[in-house]
Amino acid sequence: MITKTFLKETKELLRDGRVRISLIIVFFLLSVAVWISAQQYQNVNAQYSTAKTAEREVWDNQGEKNPHSAAHYGTYAFKPKYPLSLVDQGVDKYTGAFIFLEAHKRNEAQFSAAADQTGLARFGDLTPDFMLLFIIPLLIVLLGYNGFTKEREMGTLTLLKSQGISQWKWIWGKWMALFFPILLITAILFLVAGILLSNLQDFGVFKWESLFSLFVVYVVYYIIFINLVLLISIKTKKSGISLVVSLCVWIIACLAAPKAASNFAENKYPYPTRQEFTANVLKDKKSGLDGHNPWNKEAKLLEEKILKEYGVDSLSQLPFNYDAYRMQKGEEHQAKIYLKHYNHLKNQYKQQSDVYRNLALLSPYLPTRFLSMAIAQTDYATHWDFANAAEDYRIATQEFLNGNFAKNSEYGNWSYQADAETWKQLPDFDYTPPQLGVILEQNTSNLMVMGLWFLGSFGFLFFIPKNL
Amino acid sequence: MININNLTKKYGEHVALNQLSLQIKEGEIYCLLGANGAGKTTTINLLLGFTTPTSGNASINQINVQENPRATKHFLAYIPENLMLYPSLTALENLDYFSGIAGKKLSTKELKGFLEEAGLQAEAFDKRITTFSKGMRQKVGVAIALAKDAKVLLLDEPTSGLDPKASNEFGLLLHKLKAKGIATLMATHDLFRAKEVATHIGIMKDGKLRQQFVSDDISLAELEKVYLDTMDYKEILS
Repeated sequence: MITKTFLKETKELLRDGRVRISLIIVFFLLSVAVWISAQQYQNVNAQYSTAKTAEREVWDNQGEKNPHSAAHYGTYAFKPKYPLSLVDQGVDKYTGAFIFLEAHKRNEAQFSAAADQTGLARFGDLTPDFMLLFIIPLLIVLLGYNGFTKEREMGTLTLLKSQGISQWKWIWGKWMALFFPILLITAILFLVAGILLSNLQDFGVFKWESLFSLFVVYVVYYIIFINLVLLISIKTKKSGISLVVSLCVWIIACLAAPKAASNFAENKYPYPTRQEFTANVLKDKKSGLDGHNPWNKEAKLLEEKILKEYGVDSLSQLPFNYDAYRMQKGEEHQAKIYLKHYNHLKNQYKQQSDVYRNLALLSPYLPTRFLSMAIAQTDYATHWDFANAAEDYRIATQEFLNGNFAKNSEYGNWSYQADAETWKQLPDFDYTPPQLGVILEQNTSNLMVMGLWFLGSFGFLFFIPKNL
Repeated sequence: MININNLTKKYGEHVALNQLSLQIKEGEIYCLLGANGAGKTTTINLLLGFTTPTSGNASINQINVQENPRATKHFLAYIPENLMLYPSLTALENLDYFSGIAGKKLSTKELKGFLEEAGLQAEAFDKRITTFSKGMRQKVGVAIALAKDAKVLLLDEPTSGLDPKASNEFGLLLHKLKAKGIATLMATHDLFRAKEVATHIGIMKDGKLRQQFVSDDISLAELEKVYLDTMDYKEILS
């Protein structure tokens, strides 16, 4: 009976002109979205590769120079474009492409794609994640809203009931008929993405298991939508009402709930403004050791401490350049200040994310969005991880440069110039994002919420008594 | 095959069916006559298990309908007044689906055989139902009953809206089913068709079975008079 119903429903769907047109439009839009994203992906990665190589060459070929001048000259940590950003661009557009690394200062990522766009960007982009998160659920609504109501309206339900139909087998048949085309569209999209990505060279490590995980997340998301739409169709008497209720669910789940959750989370755990953040950092910096100012209180205390530690009377008797040592200590102090303030931001972000996760019970869109961005490595968590890695690299760079300065010159010798080969000794910035296992572990709550939606919607569809 | 004992159905204070008792054996066609609201469709709905009786019971092939409605459906087929099928599917595809969900695995050849037996023209087998007349849809309905190998056929106003030719064809079809031993309960307003096809005729009014005849024992004219009399249509009689 399940197979018979599945085949019958599929035939009806394929013979319905509206369905054929809807499927063709969705397929066309998906193809365009993948093509546009693939082009962008290749362009950005080519730029990333060129910029990274060029900047390293500039760094390596600075010639003879004072290490602290090199520290101020700075270098760059480029954020790689991850393969699965082809499917879900996440927040990449807003987070910036690289971080300038310099002495005394932790910088934000710069040159976000959004900043380069005109006001038209407010209309949004045609991307695969837009299609996957918004349009395919809408297609589910359009294909499934009259799944059961049409049987009532056409009068076939009476004949079906008189044939002694098994209710759950009948529902399964209809469920499969709705699921199969959605699965097919999604599978083709992911397969095309996989083939495209596995054939690109030098653009990050593509892993099929990550793509498959992403595919599973979306399939589960669609199953939840299918269950909801069919449940509405069972519970309503007319197709028109079923369509309106299903569209309302789509609007609430995909449009209203994420925005409401975002507003609620931002109001409850607001970020400081950029002005406040900068002022707070500056205030803390002033209260501590300044590597450039040997006369401030903390610098004097450090001087006394180091003289006592080495048992010498003057700084020139120390076996290293005290100026460089002080600057390194100043760097360490400032790094702690940045860590404190960025941890506050991170904490606010975490609190906001927790609010989101709690509200994810209101809409299956929310856990799907989080999981999708996380697996695609285009979420804020990955950006934070990258920014932290860049900061660690900045601190290590300053330590390397101050160390060279301290070791190879004497106190007061600001004219010291390091060898031209020195800069090549600094290791490359090599960032490895969190791997799939870690990502899934970090997103346990999202997985659980999705699981709840999945089981709950199936439960409502199959085990709640119905008056068919 | 069909056994109804003191079946009563009340909707609040309204008695839709009042202590109906009747039996229909193999190869019998029982026509229930009566005006709208007489209780004919309620009887059929109770036999289909679509609604539960207030009191009394009914059984099909000795299986109690109320206790085991799904089991009784293995033996019965139902053709409503306006048989609706899937318009985008062909006659053959509709038959395949409806017999399939009844648990029958039939080849295309067998399915075509049933459509042919039901009197549908061969060129209509692969046409979509959307192009079918009511008479043609009724024939597909009969084919569904045949494919299901039903022992009991419940018909609710099957000839209503059919042209005389289609109505006549349907009557002939019922004779064929009778010859196969199928027990048929047919609710109808059509006295002429009832007299022509039925082995037994009952007249219902206000949920009660008022008169019962063996069809051969009464002429059409007598049936008409008794019917009008039972219905209290005094103006027409005068």
